[in-house]
Parts: sequence; structure tokens; C-alpha cells
Amino acid sequence: MTALLSIQAVTKVFGGLTAVDNVNLDIEERSITSLIGPNGAGKTTLFNCLTGLHTPEAGQILFDGRSLIGLRPDEIIARGVARTYQNIRLFGRMTALENVLVGQHLQLRASHWSAVLRSARQQAEERAARSFALELLAFVGLESHAEVVSTNLPYGEQRLLEVARALGSRPSLLLLDEPAAGMNPSETDRMMELVHRLRDEKGVTVFLIEHDMKVVMSVSESVAVLDYGEKIAEGTPEEVRANARVVEAYLGPEVVLQDTVATSDI
Amino acid sequence: MAPSRLTAQVAGVNGKTALRFLLRAFGAAILVLVIWRVTTVGLAEGYPASFWISQALNGLVLGGVYALVALGYTLVYGILFMINFAHGEVMMIGGIAGFFALQFSQARGWLEGPWPVVVVALLLIMLFGMAASVLIGVTLERLAYRPLRQAPRLVPLISAIGASLFLQYSVLLIFGVSPHSYRKPALISGGMRMGDVFIPYTGAIIFVTSILLMLALYFIIQRTKLGRAMRAVAEDRATASLMGVDVNAVIVITFMLGSALAGAAGVMLGFHNTVVKFNSGFVPGLKAFTAAVLGGIGNIPGAMFGALILGLIEAIGPSALGIPTEYKDVIAFTLLVLILIFRPSGLFGEVLSEKKA
Amino acid sequence: MTPIRANGAIRNGLIAFAFLGYLILIGIPGRIGGAALPVLALVAALFFWVRLRRDASGTDGSFPQTASPTGKPGWEIGAPGHTVSQEQVMPLPGAGGALAIRSGLLAGITTGLLIAIVSFAFASAIGSGASIQPVLDKIVPVNVAALIGVSPGQIANDEVPTLRYLLLVLIFTAAGLLAALAVVAARVRNPQKAPVARLSKSLDSQLYRTVARFTGILLPFLLLAYIAWLGIPGVSAFGSNEGTVRLLLTLIATGSGLFALRLVRPGREQNVVAPLLALGALTMPFILDQFQNSVMGLVFIFVMMGLGLNIVVGYAGLLDLGYVAFFAIGAYTYAFLSAPFSSPYISSLLNLLAISPEIPLLGYWTALPVAMLTAAIGGILLGIPVLRLRGDYLAIVTLGFGEIIRLFMLNLGELTNGPRGILEISQPGLFGLAPQSFSSGFLSSQGWIFLLALISSALVAFVAIRLNDSRLGRAWFAMQEDEDVAEATGVHLVRTKLLAFAIGATFAGMAGQLYASRQINIFPENFSLFVSIDALALIIVGGIGSPAGIVLGALALKGLPEVLRGVDEYRIVTFAALLVIMMIVRPAGILPSARRRTQVAAPDEQALTPGAEEPVAKELDGDTARQAQAASPQSEAVRDKEDQ
Repeated sequence: MTALLSIQAVTKVFGGLTAVDNVNLDIEERSITSLIGPNGAGKTTLFNCLTGLHTPEAGQILFDGRSLIGLRPDEIIARGVARTYQNIRLFGRMTALENVLVGQHLQLRASHWSAVLRSARQQAEERAARSFALELLAFVGLESHAEVVSTNLPYGEQRLLEVARALGSRPSLLLLDEPAAGMNPSETDRMMELVHRLRDEKGVTVFLIEHDMKVVMSVSESVAVLDYGEKIAEGTPEEVRANARVVEAYLGPEVVLQDTVATSDI
Repeated sequence: MAPSRLTAQVAGVNGKTALRFLLRAFGAAILVLVIWRVTTVGLAEGYPASFWISQALNGLVLGGVYALVALGYTLVYGILFMINFAHGEVMMIGGIAGFFALQFSQARGWLEGPWPVVVVALLLIMLFGMAASVLIGVTLERLAYRPLRQAPRLVPLISAIGASLFLQYSVLLIFGVSPHSYRKPALISGGMRMGDVFIPYTGAIIFVTSILLMLALYFIIQRTKLGRAMRAVAEDRATASLMGVDVNAVIVITFMLGSALAGAAGVMLGFHNTVVKFNSGFVPGLKAFTAAVLGGIGNIPGAMFGALILGLIEAIGPSALGIPTEYKDVIAFTLLVLILIFRPSGLFGEVLSEKKA
Repeated sequence: MTPIRANGAIRNGLIAFAFLGYLILIGIPGRIGGAALPVLALVAALFFWVRLRRDASGTDGSFPQTASPTGKPGWEIGAPGHTVSQEQVMPLPGAGGALAIRSGLLAGITTGLLIAIVSFAFASAIGSGASIQPVLDKIVPVNVAALIGVSPGQIANDEVPTLRYLLLVLIFTAAGLLAALAVVAARVRNPQKAPVARLSKSLDSQLYRTVARFTGILLPFLLLAYIAWLGIPGVSAFGSNEGTVRLLLTLIATGSGLFALRLVRPGREQNVVAPLLALGALTMPFILDQFQNSVMGLVFIFVMMGLGLNIVVGYAGLLDLGYVAFFAIGAYTYAFLSAPFSSPYISSLLNLLAISPEIPLLGYWTALPVAMLTAAIGGILLGIPVLRLRGDYLAIVTLGFGEIIRLFMLNLGELTNGPRGILEISQPGLFGLAPQSFSSGFLSSQGWIFLLALISSALVAFVAIRLNDSRLGRAWFAMQEDEDVAEATGVHLVRTKLLAFAIGATFAGMAGQLYASRQINIFPENFSLFVSIDALALIIVGGIGSPAGIVLGALALKGLPEVLRGVDEYRIVTFAALLVIMMIVRPAGILPSARRRTQVAAPDEQALTPGAEEPVAKELDGDTARQAQAASPQSEAVRDKEDQ
């Protein structure tokens, strides 16, 4: 089985700082992979390189066998890579439903003329989009909040809505940037369950950044560890937990990190 | 991995950077056009060197005035991240107030007296203009901007546009449509001749005064406690207030400083253009904003040099390009557009670019 | 809760003095004449009332100082997400009636004394023959004379009785007292706004609501019938003012039509009322006369402009201050194609294309696609360079573009005939009929323009609303909310932005063409920056993002000034002050769009807003706000902060 996403020797430099240093990583289809590492290890930078916000200085990113490098963010999501954000970035004044509808932007094909004339095809497409959006909201458990303006949703539900919006583009790879950050234990459980269901019911490959070790250990099939932009370990959760370098770089101060991370920003 | 490094670069060209490439091509085309015009038309006209020098001097004088106004934009932008659209009108009101002070002095005969009296009278005229501008600037901040400090950023901008119109048309209603003409006192109405180049006294005085005022501002900002507070507020308002800086006071003082400089500029522009009227602040205000952007907004030395460069380009540009002088505004605005497209952070770098998000 | 202090009262007096001084300087008393003093005193009383009420309830009235959720101010117009500040509604203090009266008196005396002293100073200076300044000599005597109730001649001869100045002080003191009494009385009578609540209860019956609704729906038709009746030859009701009154009624009828549309229930009721309203609108050009038609034509040309600009600013969130450029492009394109003036450039182009230059080259309808296309191309060409700019920078650059276009029109004499303009632009015909042949009888030539403007705006509104309802509208709104995320969600930024610019420009081009045929002769000064600012202001005043609000804004900003011909010179000042006040008081506009209305506070915060449970009280507070606006630009005592 070939990898769905193949990150090859990717390097990203900001000024003098090498944020991502020669990272290699393969992600199998329908797998759940976690990316962990201390603050500032370059995890979000790697995500930004994957989604076209940054262009890496060197290296190659192959998705489904084709390069993602140099593509615009909207071209990348068209290939099937969607993401969520560490500090929630919803379209604040839109309702939950509208957020998911924007997520489907690329799925809709009707021309703007047909939108003006309300052609039968365009109307059918809009209806389908709406019911798919409602379906996705139900999938993440927000079906009763479809008409709520998204800034008015509680924090945990905003994170869920971000996932629903990302699913709107029918991605094959979903990047979750700290999905459980700032959540209480029951919300975290709900999110973990959702991550599993994403893979099992939607067939989406999940690649997530997470700080909560409980989430990482229980949810992921493989774990990669970044430290100072370099990949220092990779393997099953058990292997990583046993890795001496990881323990030294990261798991040692785990308890402290968990507390600080929840409130920290980029 | 050399090959993949190459792929990254090659692939980058056809995707994300296509627009940038297009824009670069557009800019290069304009540059070529300008060079072609300058070499084939401007230089071919065969103006003597003295013509260019006096044009350049004229440009420096204008640049000095723009710099004073540009500093107001930059100061306010640096602290509040808003364009004080009405700043040009603050300048115009300084000019109008200066006009009345001038009339008053002339009626008293102060301007025909011995030279120390004339100098003091001129200083008083400028101070009066500055005071009027400060009054208006501070009122503006209190009424039109302070209630909107936390509002979305479009809101204060529209409020500023409203304030700008309000000031212009209030002046129109109060002082009439007709321009008020500044009559220069005999002492400064002449000029000196250096070879073929004629330098009017007013020009020299304006240039020197603006440089002095700029140095004073620079000193205030870099060397005094107040300046430190201003810089702290510009850097991070919340933290500064936690450190005991009275943010409101600093903002008011910023408006005062900016308005005072604008008032001085208004009076000097009155002497330079010989007239002021209700809308005479608008275009210079826009130019000064251009200058502030040219130098990198929020950057104080940048605003000074940006203004001098803009003044020079505006003075020399039309002759160099061989186009009528009516187009000097077109040159300034085109320059603004080009800079914002190719170097949005200005020639000397924006000081606070990452904060305006 | 701020106690009412003496220095606070003096401050109020000083501010009132400054404001009244401004009114005097811009020549209001001279215009009002004999009634100047009572009017100014009333204005002062209103202002004192607002201030005293504010002091008594202890709110500071400024924009709620709560940080936006993301911590950085966004770009959207309208109230930010959390605008509920709990200090906004506070019970009035238990004690301090005497304090309020004292403070009102003190403020009144301060204002009165200052005004008396200043007018005395001016009057005696003029009386003793001193010339102030040439400018002030023209405006001051008339105004001071009106203020103290004498003739300018009496001032010049120094014949003003000193008693007059005393009267000034007394009247303003009385104003202060009046205001204080009003505040105290209100507090004594209804600490909890009892009468208001009682009123709202008695009015809250089903019957009342039904009657109110049907009255609202019928009002536009009744007004229209009345206007039509007034238009019958031989009927006259308002003497020499009839034209103005009919225009005012027309404006009100149009506005009430918009409200009627909001009052009807969706479904069968709407299916009946909406077509009837449309029919009513279409009959208007036939029953109005030339003057009213020309005003309404202008109003609806600006509605088109507003709808186009709304796409750029309201939907896509790109602040464009150079919008007049496309209006000008549309107007000049049609002018080139239909007026006798032919520039050397265009003639040579025609020669090149082997077209014989007959005049007019194209009729209105054949020129329409050309004008729209030219404007759209202009929109794209001007849009490309500014694609990467955001916010203020975009505003300034587009403003620069607008100025560049105007300077070109002014200075490219060979192409545009410079300041002499293009004359004798031909009028729109219909199916080969010459304009004169059908517009002479029952439809005036301006009525024909109005009819076209009405139909075109309806068309434009239709397209705009449908587009906003589609995925393109969602993409625009997403882009406005967060450009980076929108792109990462699949929105092609370049295409989406350029579409907004191009569609907005197309509408402006249509409006420009109609404007050119309305004006017959066009000049570069028709296309100054103020057209852009007018268009922007009308969508902001009306309610950004809401087509009905735009119509209302155009009626208020382009129609009303025509009714108030006499005070035309104060138009821009009033309107500029209104713009500032609007931003402070109600940034979302008079008729905000549905999207902005949904943006209420979070449910748990709503419970803390007493206003939410008391709609009528809230409405009244809105009224005080409007009165306060009329009284002074400092009106901050406004509680109606939420975006209802």
C-alpha cells in the first residue's frame, strides 16, 4: 500500500530560523497519525506547508502521487487536503450551516448566471449542498445549531464546526491542528470519538497535531515527533513512548506542557 | 537533496506566484516606459541645469511641508492603526487661522517694522496656526475617534471621512468659498540668486523650519519620557497601560503633536501657495499620506524621507516626463499605487507591519 | 454612578456654547430670523437634557470597550460580536433631584452668559465702527442681530438695549432648568419607565398589531393615490409649495413601500402585496411632474450605484473609494457613442474599423452592453493591481484611482473635451421610437428616465440578491470574514475579488449611462470624489448589505436635500456629521441586512440586557438618540447599541 501523503525532506526557513528541518514522513491511507512535539517545534509550520500557506524552501510533498508544492491553498483543498486551525478560525458572522456551505464551495459547479436565473440544476445543487451540510452538522453533533451564528457557539462546538466545515470539501486527508486544545474532558472524549468516526465512517485519513497525550495515545495508530524542526522519532504510540530521545525532549515535562499548552497560542 | 530543491523552485513559479509575476511584469513595463519618456522627451527638451536645480529646490520645499503633514499620519497610524483621513483638513485649518493672524499683524503694522519684530510676528502667526490645528485635532480625536477605538476598523475610517467633509464644509460655510490670499511681508518676499538659480526666501525659510520641527519631533520621540511612552503604546497598548502609561493621554498627545506639525505646515503652505481655502488641505493631505506610505507607515524617518522624495518627484516629474504639470497629481497617485503594489511596507520598511493584520 | 458635580455642569454649558457658537458661525440664526433665539434655546435644552440624563444614569455612552473575540479589530462594518455592556442600563439614582436642577441651571447660565458676552463684544465692536475681518463682517452682524432680536442696522448704530443681553442669559438658563425639570420629572414619575410599559401593554393586543400592520401595508398605496390626485390638473392643495410637498410625499411613499414589504407575511399575502407594490412603483413616473421625476430618477440612479458598490463593499468587504471611476466610464462611453462631439482618437479608430462616423453612433440600448462591458473591463483593470491590498490601503489607492480618472477626464482635452464636457447626449428611445414621440404626452422626458432607472435598479437588485444568495455570495462573505481561511476552504481569491469589482463596476456603468442621458450634458466635475462618498454614505446610512436599506439611504441622501432646497448649503455638513454620528451610534445602518440582524449577542449575555425584554422602551430610546443627534454631534447618551 503506497502512502497517501508523502513528505520528503521538507525544509522551511524563516529568516535565520529553520522551523522545519529536512522532515520525511509518510502517511498511509485511512490511518490516524499524530504529530507531536514541544511548543515551537514546527508542527503548525509543517501543516502550513502542506496547505499552501507557506512554500517550503526545499523538499517535496506528494499527495496521491502528485506534488502539492507551489499550489495555492484553494488548489490544495481541491486535491482533497482540508484542515482546521489551532486558534479557531470560523467565519464568525455566518451561521453554522453557512460555514459548512462555504466548505463545499469547490463541490458546487453551477455557474453564477444560473444562480441569477435560479435554474433547476442550480437549485437542485443548492438543495443537495444544504442537505449534505446538515448531514455533516449531524455527523459532528451540531444538527440543532445549524442556524446559530458561529461566534455564538460554545468553544468546543466551534471546534466541531471547524471539522464539519473541513469535511464539506469531501477531503481524503484531514489535518487537525490541536483539535482538543482548551476542551474539557467530556468534550475531549467527544472529539476523540469523532476522530475515530472520521476514519471509520467517512473513510478520511486523519493527520493531527495534539498536545494532550491521552488523546494522542488512544487515538493514533502512528506518532511522529518533531523537535526544533527535526523529526526525532516515528512509530506506534508505544514505540514513541519508549523512545529515549522523545522522553528527553518531550515526555519528561509532559505534565507541565499539558497545562501550558491549553492556553497558549502560536 | 538537490533535485527536490529544484522542483520546489520550479513548481513555485507556475502556481502561487503567477499573480506576483504578472504584477512584476506590469511594474517593469511602467519603469521602462518612464525611462523611455525621460530619455527621449524630458532630457531632449534641453532645459538648462539651472532649471532642474530650481525645480529640485522647489520640490524639496514642497517635500518639507509634506513631511510635516506625513508625520501626523504616521504618528497616529503607529499608535491607533487608523488613517486619520481628516488630517489634511487639520492642516487647512492651521492655514486659515494663520491667515487671520497674518491679517491681524498686518493691520497692526507689525510686519513693516524692524526685522526682529517681523520675525516674532511670523513666529506668532505660525504658533497661532498650530494652536488652532491642535484644538481641532484634539476635538476630532475626542468626538469622532475615541468612541470608536474598539470598533471594527472600517468604522473609524468612515467616521474620519465624515469628519473630513464636516471640517471642509464648515470652513466653507464660515469663511466662504473664495480663497484667502496670504500677503508676504516685504522682509521675506524677495529671494537670493546663486548663479542662474533663484531661491525665494520663503522657500528657504519653509525648508529650514520644517527640518527644525522634524528634528524637534525626533528628539521628543527618541529622547524623552513622553516619547518612550508613545513608543510603548505603539508597540502594545495593553501592556503599556499595565506598565502605568496613561494610554488616553498618550493618544491625545500624539494627536496634539501631529496636529501642531500640520498647523505649521498649513501656515507655511499658505505662504508658499499664497492662498488657502476650504478644500486646500485635501490634496496635500492625500499627498502627505502617500509620502507616509512611501517611507513606510509608522516609520518616522521614513515619513520625512518619503515626503522629500515625493516632493522632488512631483516637482521634477512633469518636466522630466515631458507632460503637462496638471498631471503632477497623477504622478503622485500613480507612485502611491505602484508602491503599495510592489513594496507595501514602504521604501524604509514599516515599523509595525505585523500588527495591522 | 457619577455624581452631578458643578464642574461637570459648567463643562456641559461650555460644550453647549461651543456647539451653539458653531451654529451661529455657519449662519443658522440669520437664516431662521426672528425665531432664532427660541430655536437655539430649544436646541440647548435638548442637549442639556441628554447630558443630564446621561449623568443621572451614569453611562459614559462611548463605544463599548469590549475587545472583539479575536482580539484584533476586524474589517466588517457593523457592531462587533459582543457589544452588550452591562453598564448601559442602570437605575437612576435615588437622590439628587435638587442636584440635577442646580446642575441644569448652572449649565444654562454658563451657556447664556458666554453667548451674551460674546454677542455683546461683537455688537459693541461693530457698533463702535471697528471692522473685524472682512469675512466675519459679512456673517457676524446678521447672525448676532437675529440672535438678540434686533436689526443689523441697530447694531451698527450701537442702539442695542442692554436688556436684550439679559434676556439671552435668562432664556438659556430657562433652557437648562427645563431640561433638569424634564429629567427629574421623568425620574419621579417612572423609575421603571412605567408609562412606557403600560403603553406597550395596551398596544400589544392582537387587534392593534393587525391594524398597525394593515395600515403599514396600505400606506404606500394611499400616499400614491393622494399624489396622483394632487397631480390632476386643477387640483391644488399646498399653493406654491405643492411641488415640494408632492416630492416629499413621493419620497415617503417609496420609503413606506419598503417597510410595507417587510410587514407582509411570506406566502400568499406577499404574493399579492409585492406585485401590487411593484405596479404602484411603475405608475409613479406617470403621475409625477418633470421636477419630481428628475429627482426620483437621480435617486434611483444612485440606488443602482449603491447596489453595485454594495457588492464590492458590503458583500466582498473591499472598501472602494474610487467607485466614481466606473460611473464616469459608463457615462463617457455612452457620451462618445451618442453625442455629436467626436474626439480625434475615436474618429481615427472608426476610420480604422471602416465605420462611417454618423451621429449617434449607437442608440441607448445598443450602447448599453458596450458601456457595461467597458466599465467591467475598467473594474478588472483597476482591480488587478489592488488585489493584494487590504483595508485602509485599498481605500486610499482606490481613492487615488478615482482622482486619476477625473484628472484624465479634465486634462485629456482631445479625448474628453476637457472641462467643456460633452454636450447633447441623445435620449433613450424605445423599439425604434424617437424619445420625443412617446414622452411628450402622458410621460415626461424625466419620467421616462425615472422609469428606466426604476426598472434597471430592480434588475440590478434582483441580480445582486440572487448572487449574494448563491455560493458566490457565500464566498464573498467568507472572504470578508477571513481571507486566508476562505482561500484554504477553496475560494479562489483572485477570481472572487475580480468578480466583485467587475460586477460592481458593471452596475456603476449602467448607472453612469443613464446619468449621462439624464443630464444630456456631462462635465468632469459631475464625477468628483463626492459621488463615491455619496454612494458609500448611502449604503452605510441605509444599512450595508441590505438592498432595501440602500433604497432608503438614497431617498434620504439624494431625495431629501431636494425637498430641503432652502437649506441646501447645510446639506454636506449635516450629512458629514450624520456619518460620524451614525458610525458611533448605529454602525449597521437604518435597515440592516438580515445577516447583520442575526448577529446578536450570545444567549447568556442576552439575558443581561433588559432592553431585550422591553422592545418598546428600546424603540423610545432610539428616538432619544435621534433627537440627541439633532441637538449636537456630541450625543453619546445612546443606549441603542445593539444591532437590532
